[in-house]
Amino acid sequence: MKSAVQDYEAIKASVEAAANEHGEPHWFVDRRLAAIDAMQDLALPQVQRYDYHRWPLMDNMDLSWHRSDKALADSVPAATDQIRFVQVGQTTVAINLPDELDEQGVILTDIFSAFREHPRLTEKYFMDKVTKADENKLTAYHQAFLNAGVFLYVPKGVTIKQPIEAYLIQDSTVKQAMVSHVLIVAEEDSSFSFIQHLNTKGDEQNAASCMVEVLARANSNVHFSSVDELGEHTYSFLHRRANLSRNARFDWAIGVVNDQNTLGDFTSELIGEGAHSESKVIAVTTGKQSNGINNRVVNKGKHTVANISQRGVLLEKSELVFNGIGDIIHGASGANAEQENRVLMMSDQAHGDANPILLIDENDVIAGHAASVGQVDQNQLYYLMSRGIDKEQAQRLVIRGFLGPVLEDIPLPEVRQEMIEVIERKLEDGQHFK
Amino acid sequence: MATLEVKDLHVEIEEEKDQTREILKGVNLTMNTGEIHAIMGPNGTGKSTLSQTIMGNSAYHVTQGDILLNGESILDMPVDERARKGLFLAMQYPAEIQGVTNAEFLRAAINSRRPEDDQISVMAFLKELDKNLELLDMSEEMTERYLNEGFSGGEKKRNEILQLLMIKPSFALLDEIDSGLDIDALQVVSKGVNSMRGDNFGSLIITHYQRLLNYIVPDVVHVMMGGKIVKSGDAELAKKLESEGYAGLRDELGLDVSLVDDNR
Ligand SMILES: Nc1ncnc2c1ncn2[C@@H]1O[C@H](COP(=O)(O)OP(=O)(O)OP(=O)(O)O)[C@@H](O)[C@H]1O
Ligand SMILES: [Mg+2]
Repeated sequence: MKSAVQDYEAIKASVEAAANEHGEPHWFVDRRLAAIDAMQDLALPQVQRYDYHRWPLMDNMDLSWHRSDKALADSVPAATDQIRFVQVGQTTVAINLPDELDEQGVILTDIFSAFREHPRLTEKYFMDKVTKADENKLTAYHQAFLNAGVFLYVPKGVTIKQPIEAYLIQDSTVKQAMVSHVLIVAEEDSSFSFIQHLNTKGDEQNAASCMVEVLARANSNVHFSSVDELGEHTYSFLHRRANLSRNARFDWAIGVVNDQNTLGDFTSELIGEGAHSESKVIAVTTGKQSNGINNRVVNKGKHTVANISQRGVLLEKSELVFNGIGDIIHGASGANAEQENRVLMMSDQAHGDANPILLIDENDVIAGHAASVGQVDQNQLYYLMSRGIDKEQAQRLVIRGFLGPVLEDIPLPEVRQEMIEVIERKLEDGQHFK
Repeated sequence: MATLEVKDLHVEIEEEKDQTREILKGVNLTMNTGEIHAIMGPNGTGKSTLSQTIMGNSAYHVTQGDILLNGESILDMPVDERARKGLFLAMQYPAEIQGVTNAEFLRAAINSRRPEDDQISVMAFLKELDKNLELLDMSEEMTERYLNEGFSGGEKKRNEILQLLMIKPSFALLDEIDSGLDIDALQVVSKGVNSMRGDNFGSLIITHYQRLLNYIVPDVVHVMMGGKIVKSGDAELAKKLESEGYAGLRDELGLDVSLVDDNR
């Protein structure tokens, strides 16, 4: 198709102009252009038993710069001495990093400043080591149209006790896709936790392409939580990937509570010997919403441990597919991979699926899985109601109980509480429309 | 004064698909607040069925008769409404719920009885909670744990009584609240129930052991066999049963009921 190619040439020209106007380094502009070329031949990511190809995830092929109203970040809880990064659209509203961490070499900055100020780190690590632009069409799109994000660098041996919080707010008061990237480099023996909040302000229909890359070097200990709460006019693609070196420990605790369709693709790749990863995901779907989530662990190193635990709740006419993918590569002797995927159906018009997929190419391993699609535990419901609690609230409490094993794992009590509240609000909405 | 009346109650359960069995075969019972009643009876005779049916467990189908609370039939009311009207059932096997703390659950239960704009304050709640924890010799840590999760058998029973004290129902049905309790715990639990005694509280205590009734002295003792109350009397009846067993009473009354023991 000649016209499509011409379109791509036009898009490349305008992206190049916008990137130059933005003062981006050459290496990065080149990567954008290469990604546009690559996009044309790449396929969409594969999600078993799930069809999303009609979603408007790449409608916006326009790279442009827009200053957002900082007042859109007013809903972010006030901070006193938290470690914080707040961004609305492309506009960084606050960066709060204690001086002593700065002195130790910790970097917390927006992604474009990082490209300019820390080229040695970013050129090497941005979409090159952990995840690649040419992995699929959506990752290439991300590289090509990146317009927001944050970079965190924690040097060797640095322990940060307080969690680092990032509020990434989509500005949908204007028509523009959110293409946001979180790049985290945890050097050897470092230790910290990172909490991300995704939100939307405004009612424009926009896509969100939100990526997280984590490089967890030898003996590092990193915990990543995310409260995904994008708006009802946002179709989202959430691509998250961590690479673990020798004896690294890395965990995901993710709550997918967006109000529109979401494609989630989460992977932990355990490369170094003795690495350990726990991958926990909660999802709640309502209305006619559809979520498809791949949660993948790859055991490459010997004696690696990688567990998946996913819990989903479906209301109304929604759809949720959980694929738990355990990939044990030849040579990963002594590896251990367990997974549990459970969904709870609150409506007989919803469609839920929990699929364990084990790909094992090594004999000396321990791998197991459990999956279920079930209804609310009547016995628990009865018990709560017998104390006077009405049926809807009792259901929400039982659901909380069902989600408990994953909620448990969120390190910060306030964030756990936030997650509970977001879930509760969503469940209430879903119950009222029943 | 509140009254709970059970009239000619017949209850069936569905054993398998389309296979029903009648468990209660015409139970009659009237109790008022201010009274403690005890029900004793052999295993499998329908004691838990009676308490679950009064509470409104949907597994039990009423085919005949009625249950009245202050003269009003409660058969059409859902469980939560019955609870808010003043009924409480301490269950033989309480459910466990991870992710919901005991304290949060207790507050939700108390608030369900109060109007939206007059929910209990944190201070008032904690004060009441501390008082009852002390009475039951329970640690505060128990209230921050998830509801019944990982509780020992005895801890669960104590927790049922804690709920009783916090919720303050008019009628408490206590199903084998003494089973699995050590001697100290038995005294503590009894102390809890006794502290509720008064004009505004009545209780129906299901037990297999006369010992509990030494601590919580009943006003009336009922014996249930074959899905019916076959004899009622005062506290002495429980003592007599303890020494003579159910077979003696059955034969004395000329009942045609088989007891589990007969098969031995
Ligand atoms: N939910 C149920 N489903 C099937 N059968 C039931 C159910 N509940 C009770 N039954 C049956 O009904 C009969 C009466 O049971 P119930 O639990 O009421 O006895 P009980 O008097 O409380 O006995 P125990 O002293 O052993 O607690 C038993 O045969 C029991 O198996
Ligand atoms: Mg029983």
